[in-house]
Amino acid sequence: MTAIVWELEWRIAFARRRLFVLNIVVPLLLVLPVALGAAPAVHAAAVYVVLFAIFSTFGSAIPLVRDGESGLSGRVLRAGVEPASYFLQRTAAGAVLDLLQLGPALAVVALGAGAGPRAFFVAVVALAATVWVANLVGVLVAAATRSLAEAALFSAVSTLLLLHASGVFRTPLPGSFGAAFESVAPFRALHEALLAMSMMTPVGGGTALGIWCFVMAVATGILAGRLSGSLGGSGRA
Amino acid sequence: MSAPDAGSDDDPDAHRGVDLGTDPGADPDPMVRAVAVSYRYDSGDPALDGVDLEGRPGEIVALVGPNGAGKSTLLRLLAGDLVPDAGELYLPSRRGAKGCVAMGYAGEEACHFESLSGTHNAVFFARAAGLGREEAEQAVREQFDRLGLAEDAPRPVSTYSFGARRKLLLVEALAHRPTLTLLDEPFVGLDLDSREALADLLRERSAEGGTVMIASHDLDLLPQLVDRIVFLHDARVVAGGSPDELLSSMPDVARFEFTLDGAFAGAEFVLGEGMILVSSGDTVVLESERGQAALPEACLALVVAGARIRSVVVRDAGLAAVFRSVTGAELDV
Repeated sequence: MTAIVWELEWRIAFARRRLFVLNIVVPLLLVLPVALGAAPAVHAAAVYVVLFAIFSTFGSAIPLVRDGESGLSGRVLRAGVEPASYFLQRTAAGAVLDLLQLGPALAVVALGAGAGPRAFFVAVVALAATVWVANLVGVLVAAATRSLAEAALFSAVSTLLLLHASGVFRTPLPGSFGAAFESVAPFRALHEALLAMSMMTPVGGGTALGIWCFVMAVATGILAGRLSGSLGGSGRA
Repeated sequence: MSAPDAGSDDDPDAHRGVDLGTDPGADPDPMVRAVAVSYRYDSGDPALDGVDLEGRPGEIVALVGPNGAGKSTLLRLLAGDLVPDAGELYLPSRRGAKGCVAMGYAGEEACHFESLSGTHNAVFFARAAGLGREEAEQAVREQFDRLGLAEDAPRPVSTYSFGARRKLLLVEALAHRPTLTLLDEPFVGLDLDSREALADLLRERSAEGGTVMIASHDLDLLPQLVDRIVFLHDARVVAGGSPDELLSSMPDVARFEFTLDGAFAGAEFVLGEGMILVSSGDTVVLESERGQAALPEACLALVVAGARIRSVVVRDAGLAAVFRSVTGAELDV
């Protein structure tokens, strides 16, 4: 199977140029007052990582549910696209688009924090891996929901839980279960990379994020058949 | 649901495990077969109840019945869109010898990628079915020309009319030349030329050995197009046969189509024995179980009731009459 879904997603993105630009402008507008204001770095980093993670989870889950409801996903899968290929190509395109759309906001954050090129590069890599994981979370959320409202709710809840587990909102007590989970949580690396841009702190969680990227992709591939059933494949009238 | 795991064009065992119940010398193996298939809606109401059906290579089969008879559900089951609650489905394997998807399905929903052009939509689906880029573009261009969609091709689908969307759906189902074509109400929304063009495309699929199954209300076109008609009523198959067989089962029934000057309500219309009013308005359609001999009586009844007859066309019994005689119910066409 060639990358026809990947190609399709890019075509759709560029055909909807207004939406593409809005998806650049809105994060920028949300980030600008924080980046140019006097918010403490810890709080600012929390705002950024929440915005970036939820942007990607929503951006993956909502269109998938919409396409499932309209019957479009079912048509694509019935037409001959393998479910694993459909979800992974779609997620890959979504993640790269998210990175492009969030990139300017990240650049503003870096400028506001006075970050050096190395810290900015680390943050870009962390953002790329994070939006890939967040997009895959969005696929699982979409498969578990039955409406756009549910998808929005579940996206927010699941992402906020993972952000909380990643130590974004508070630092867990050393030696606690929370601390153990934080060390392997998916959004820790981006959070710490954003902190490092202004505080020059070390960035951890990169290996864990890499594992999340791989495991989530494999899980999505394995579960693709079941996911397609929930998202417009064979089902009931 | 079960499906034989072999089904490529060069595989003689494509339908192994199926007791065909037919003389293999006389009838080719079915391309698709449903055995005692049942399906219930979530509400518990039966959509299909013990339906048997088969489609042979080179055959065009029409599923005919009123709304709710189960035609669309049966096509969706054959397309793999739904899973039966009981019974067996024997389908060709997913991909044929050239790696292309064996099935082409156009259902009731005409959903597309709205922001993309018709060409991009159709080429995507053709490539998803297994065609290469150039092959897909060529096939789509050819079908756009034939169905009269070429002018709309570069425009975003969001600007399409209902008819153009239906044509695009048909192109997407047919461009990869499927061996099993399943179309739900394919003639709805099509102008006369496009209907003829589609009929030709379906005949070509059949001539190339493909099986075509359509659910249709278009009773005027079916006798010239299809090899076999299957009547569905109340979730069951109630009759079937070639159009000639079905129509000749009612040799004495004639159909009179009166064109009138002005509308005619027909409220005071007194019909003779064995005569049925099929429709009224500017055109009044009557059916007589006493054949063409009842024409003078029908004319007289209309004139007495105040209608001004401009012309009358006399036809043999239509499929609607056959359906009525089998089920006692009207086809809501």
